[in-house]
Amino acid sequence: MTAVDFLNLLIAAVLLAGIYAVMSVGMTVIYGVMKIVNLAHAGFMMLGAYFAYEFFERFHIDPLIGAALALPAFFLFGMAVHWLLIRWLPKSDQPTLSSLLLMFAFWLVLQNIGYLFWGNMDRSIFTPRTLTVLTLGPISISLLRLIVFFAAVLCVCALQLALSRSWYGRAMRALIQNPYAAQITGVDDERIARITFGLGTAFAGFAGALLAMLYSFSPDFGRPFLIRAFVIIVLGGLESVSGVAFGALVLALVETFSILYVPAGYQPAISFGLLVVVLLVFPKGIGGLLERKWRPA
Amino acid sequence: MKRLIASFQPLFAAGILLVVLLLPILGLTPNVIRILFITFVWITASLAWNLLGGVAGQVSFGFAVFYGLGAYAAALMINAGVNPALSFVGSAAVAALASFLIGIPTFRLRGPYFAIATIGVSEAVRVVMNNISAVGGAGGLRVTERGIFHQTEHYYSGLAIAVLAVCVSLLIERSKFGLALRAIRQDEDAAADIGINPFRCKLWIHAIAAALTGVAGGVFADYAAYIHPQGVFAFSTSVTILLMPVIGGIGTIWGAVLGAAVVTIVEEQLVAVFPQVHLLLYGLLLMLIVLLEPDGLVGLLRRMLRRMHVDPSSRGPDEALWGRGRLEGREL
Repeated sequence: MTAVDFLNLLIAAVLLAGIYAVMSVGMTVIYGVMKIVNLAHAGFMMLGAYFAYEFFERFHIDPLIGAALALPAFFLFGMAVHWLLIRWLPKSDQPTLSSLLLMFAFWLVLQNIGYLFWGNMDRSIFTPRTLTVLTLGPISISLLRLIVFFAAVLCVCALQLALSRSWYGRAMRALIQNPYAAQITGVDDERIARITFGLGTAFAGFAGALLAMLYSFSPDFGRPFLIRAFVIIVLGGLESVSGVAFGALVLALVETFSILYVPAGYQPAISFGLLVVVLLVFPKGIGGLLERKWRPA
Repeated sequence: MKRLIASFQPLFAAGILLVVLLLPILGLTPNVIRILFITFVWITASLAWNLLGGVAGQVSFGFAVFYGLGAYAAALMINAGVNPALSFVGSAAVAALASFLIGIPTFRLRGPYFAIATIGVSEAVRVVMNNISAVGGAGGLRVTERGIFHQTEHYYSGLAIAVLAVCVSLLIERSKFGLALRAIRQDEDAAADIGINPFRCKLWIHAIAAALTGVAGGVFADYAAYIHPQGVFAFSTSVTILLMPVIGGIGTIWGAVLGAAVVTIVEEQLVAVFPQVHLLLYGLLLMLIVLLEPDGLVGLLRRMLRRMHVDPSSRGPDEALWGRGRLEGREL
């Protein structure tokens, strides 16, 4: 591998990491606040992809604007889902079987509503931007991936800022750290949970719309990305935005560079294999590993 | 009253068994026999999942791995000329072996981590099976059995494995091992404190469940005569296996049986009428069950029995009849 190849792959990996981060971060905040493993995330991503697609096909609205529109639309949708379904779940500070099955069932429902509306045909969004490539000497970068990367990074940074600076963000972090103490100090956990679920869903829809610009999609669109999101949030330790960014980078690097060594047919197995390895070697994420090393025994 | 119904339970079971034994003689149409056969296969898989997920509390999204490996093992052995009955034993052995390979690393994980890891394992296995050309790759594998096809023979082998699964479940439920598994479900640390080895118990119940699922896959492969990775290793196979006991009533033997019967019949009828929406209906059904009736169909029946029951002081006959198991409040 020459240095140029290496650089090209490195850039591709970093650009991929941005998208991976934005698609995982929604799951992370939901897990952090509600301890719900949101399997329906894949369904929300699929809907986000079709959201951008419909706007593009019917009204010729640029998919980037479609993705931006997905944020408020899915925020409201997520709050509605929380109000309709999730708040009826028995409360627990541990993940429960009920919540896992409920979100799984909701994913099934979303996916099959997708099949009803759009059939099982693969769709894609094709704009003049899709095949444009920027070349800087020997290095070439897909323009679309670059744009998507910046949109994704912008959103993740905005979220991080909101979490660290706003009252809402403080309340959310308090709930993640200690739900009881947070409630004693006057945090309305039901309301925060509803907003958090809306936020997580908004990010899922946004990520789906961004991914729809890069890949073809069908109603089963979210599943491979769901597993990737799991790998990422497990790597990052399930509860922090910076952890997610780190996990996304690791997964993107592994996936990108493994193309050199692993036959393409086995490519989908890489993230799944990595998931198992990660779960076994660092069950608490890289952060957990550091914590274990640094904490005096 | 409670004791009365409890003592009727074996009679009730024997009655059902007698009816299904005699059914083929009544001259049912081949399609009805096919549906019954598939019901038996699913009952076996559903009871197997229930042993791990319901009794021991370890939720796995990866039972398609064992189902598929069992199917492939039986298919390859039958193609090589092995007696089908013997090849089903081979299926069980292969699936149990795989369960150790999967279980030894993944049972170090707890709760949602284990559930997520099983999704990863099953997806990885499916991708790999899609690419192994020695067993047909994505194109699948044809099963060629020498001899004449008798549907009733398949029917009875299906029935036999379903009865086997019920017997295994009953034995485990009434043994000390079953008690240990229930303790692990309720609180793994407390179970470890009273001298149970949770890791070893989980491995063994995983192996037993995998062997049963593998046999179910083998019997199915022998009947279907053609298997392919997108069918037997599909995520939807794992989903169906998980849904049956949950819909029926998690943690109970009758629930797993009832769930399998309902799911098969509903699916067979729905697929014929609305090919697209059966998973949608499953999803809605599952949501309703999680939110409204966490004990599944068995819980619903239990409630109806309680309403009919006269003596309000007793906890009702239902508990003796259906056994216990709740979805609500189960931590992963």
